[in-house]
Amino acid sequence: MVSHRLEMKIRNVRIFAIPAAMLVFVTAVIPLIVLATSVIDRADIFSIWTKPPVQRALVFSLWQALLSTAFTIFLGVIATWYLSRYQFFGRRTFIALVTVPFVLPTVAVGAAFIAVLPKALHHSTLAIVLAHIFFNISIVVRTVGPRWNSIDDQLIDSARTLGASPLQTWRHVIMPLGKNAVFSATALTFFMCFTSYGIITILGGPGLATLDIEIYRRAVQLGDLSGATVLAIAQMLLIAIAFLLWSRSRSTELIAFRVQAVSHRRLSLAPKCFFLALAAFFTVPLLALVAASMRTSHSWSLKGWKVFLGIQNQRGIDFNMWRAIQTSGKYALIASCIALPTGIAATYALSNRRSSQSRLSALVILPLAISPVVVGLAILITYDFQPFDFRSSWLLIPVVHAAIALPFVMRSALPVVDGIPNDLRSAASTLGAGPWRRFFTVELPLLKPAISTGLAFSMAMSLGEFGATSFLTRRESRTIPIIIASLFGKAGEIPRTTGMVASLVLIVLTAMIVVTIDRKSHI
Amino acid sequence: MSLIIDNISFSYGDRPILSGLSLEVPTGTTTAVVAPSGSGKSTLLRIIAGLIAPSTGSIILDGKDLSRVPTHLRSIGMVFQDNQLFPHLNVYDNVMFGLRMAKTEKTIAAKRCRDLLDLVGLSQVAKQSVATLSGGESKRVALARALAPSPRLLLLDEPLTGLDSELHDRLAHDLQRILHATSTTALLVTHSLPEAEIISDSLHRLPTAVNSVQDGEKK
Repeated sequence: MVSHRLEMKIRNVRIFAIPAAMLVFVTAVIPLIVLATSVIDRADIFSIWTKPPVQRALVFSLWQALLSTAFTIFLGVIATWYLSRYQFFGRRTFIALVTVPFVLPTVAVGAAFIAVLPKALHHSTLAIVLAHIFFNISIVVRTVGPRWNSIDDQLIDSARTLGASPLQTWRHVIMPLGKNAVFSATALTFFMCFTSYGIITILGGPGLATLDIEIYRRAVQLGDLSGATVLAIAQMLLIAIAFLLWSRSRSTELIAFRVQAVSHRRLSLAPKCFFLALAAFFTVPLLALVAASMRTSHSWSLKGWKVFLGIQNQRGIDFNMWRAIQTSGKYALIASCIALPTGIAATYALSNRRSSQSRLSALVILPLAISPVVVGLAILITYDFQPFDFRSSWLLIPVVHAAIALPFVMRSALPVVDGIPNDLRSAASTLGAGPWRRFFTVELPLLKPAISTGLAFSMAMSLGEFGATSFLTRRESRTIPIIIASLFGKAGEIPRTTGMVASLVLIVLTAMIVVTIDRKSHI
Repeated sequence: MSLIIDNISFSYGDRPILSGLSLEVPTGTTTAVVAPSGSGKSTLLRIIAGLIAPSTGSIILDGKDLSRVPTHLRSIGMVFQDNQLFPHLNVYDNVMFGLRMAKTEKTIAAKRCRDLLDLVGLSQVAKQSVATLSGGESKRVALARALAPSPRLLLLDEPLTGLDSELHDRLAHDLQRILHATSTTALLVTHSLPEAEIISDSLHRLPTAVNSVQDGEKK
């Protein structure tokens, strides 16, 4: 009887979405409602837009995002085409090289571009656009790659036998077949660039502030919560539109680009040069970061490392690096422990079901459409009174990290869960496996790739998260990205070199985690 | 004037697929090459279409050596074994594809397209997605699409494989009728002798993996 009731309950798999929905509710929905209803001074709704810094931020956000998106898509589409259709030396390594940056910590990548660019370009639109390309090409490769990878060679042959020149084939067959994926990649890239925060914190400057930076400046430095909130809500609406466009197509699961057998076509000289240049673009900033971590302006020196490791004291630098590493590691572990089970359970509940589930799924994916800065601000405002004063609880940050990682966990798990045939479950049942047994012996092993990708994603997201954390962090709970940003905010050479060291350590840590946990899907 | 295949050889790495193959397809006729699977039939068609280059030998169409002519300029149509219809285009637009590539004047192209759909008996599904078609219908669309730009030569790669037997026989006769009605010069490769006998005017056999065509036998 009991087991029968259990069976009934488990059949109603929708309940598996509850933990995820609660997580999103607590970290996003409630705070956003509170944000929208409590602190806005009505006068600000219109007057805020007349303030020159706000206008500048709005224009700059749009303009740099458009520019970054255009270049990212252009280069990404070319790279994706060759990666998905041609066999060449170093192809696998290259796929890893372009897909890993997406999960790297934004502030650390900003530091890498400081290290590689000449001083005159340190705080420039060019630096920002380059860093955005570095980050977001992987979106194009991950979303469009699988689509093009699956086009039958003979379909292209058939276009050629019908008289289509290579250019016509591209225009009439290849682009239309990848259109939805390219479109989603464009929307997501635009969203990422528009809400860019970590990169701009490091590479921005006077006149180079995005809306997110302006929100932070208003809320934290000017204490203008009402103005910050108006901006946050306006930004949310704008992104919601972009997000709606994005979610139109389901070809957007951020699954890792799996390397499939491709034809034996060889690259000609021009694409070879293109890939050589792109390889340099992806590696040189990181190499420059290694060099910069061991240099002061005139000579080689390990001062930065000494300060970083606490061997040498430096006035104005008061953090304990070991503690920061511990904090970051602890948060990443907790965030994954929350995001992974809730995310996979929710994916289970939402997979293979159409109608009534879509609203629920929108709820869980919601955090993806909201900039972490806005989430940070909303939480800061919401949970500041008894008995809900969670702001001082150290658990708040990993919980928020988990909510931010959740959509990524779900997006990588969805195709895997969807791919488990129902008959397989039935077969296990007819062989005498109960629902739990079936889950642990049949489904869990099949979910392994989703679990490892989700784990890698959530760890990396938490390690690099900067937007929400910058609002919620306390002196004793500073993560590595927070420390990097504060080091680059200080004047002087030693803080900067130490910042380079911290960035390098964070990048290596993240890349190691992603590549070890998720090796199969990247290489 | 015709298609002349002159001493074609091809190998994948060390594995020879075709060696010293010669063959002639007279204008306005259908010639069949009958051979078991894995004997290089498809490879032969891909070489003729210019999709792969032979190790040696040449393809001569209407007196012109095609060695240096890229696929899209050869005016050689091909019906692929699994049709390869464009999934993003409906039936009509699939048939129109070649005419669009050739920038054929719109009213002429539309008429040609309608005529061909009539010929293959699919006018009523013109606006449908190709995903909704049955196996036999897909094959007819593939045929109409290949014929639309009026190719100088049509290649047919196992055109009736995978269809159930009743449909197979009916389509074989249809194919013969359509190729005649359009007086298309065609080269058919198949593993089925009865199929070849229905569709083609003359046939050749390729007995083993590496072979040269033995004497063509007249039906």
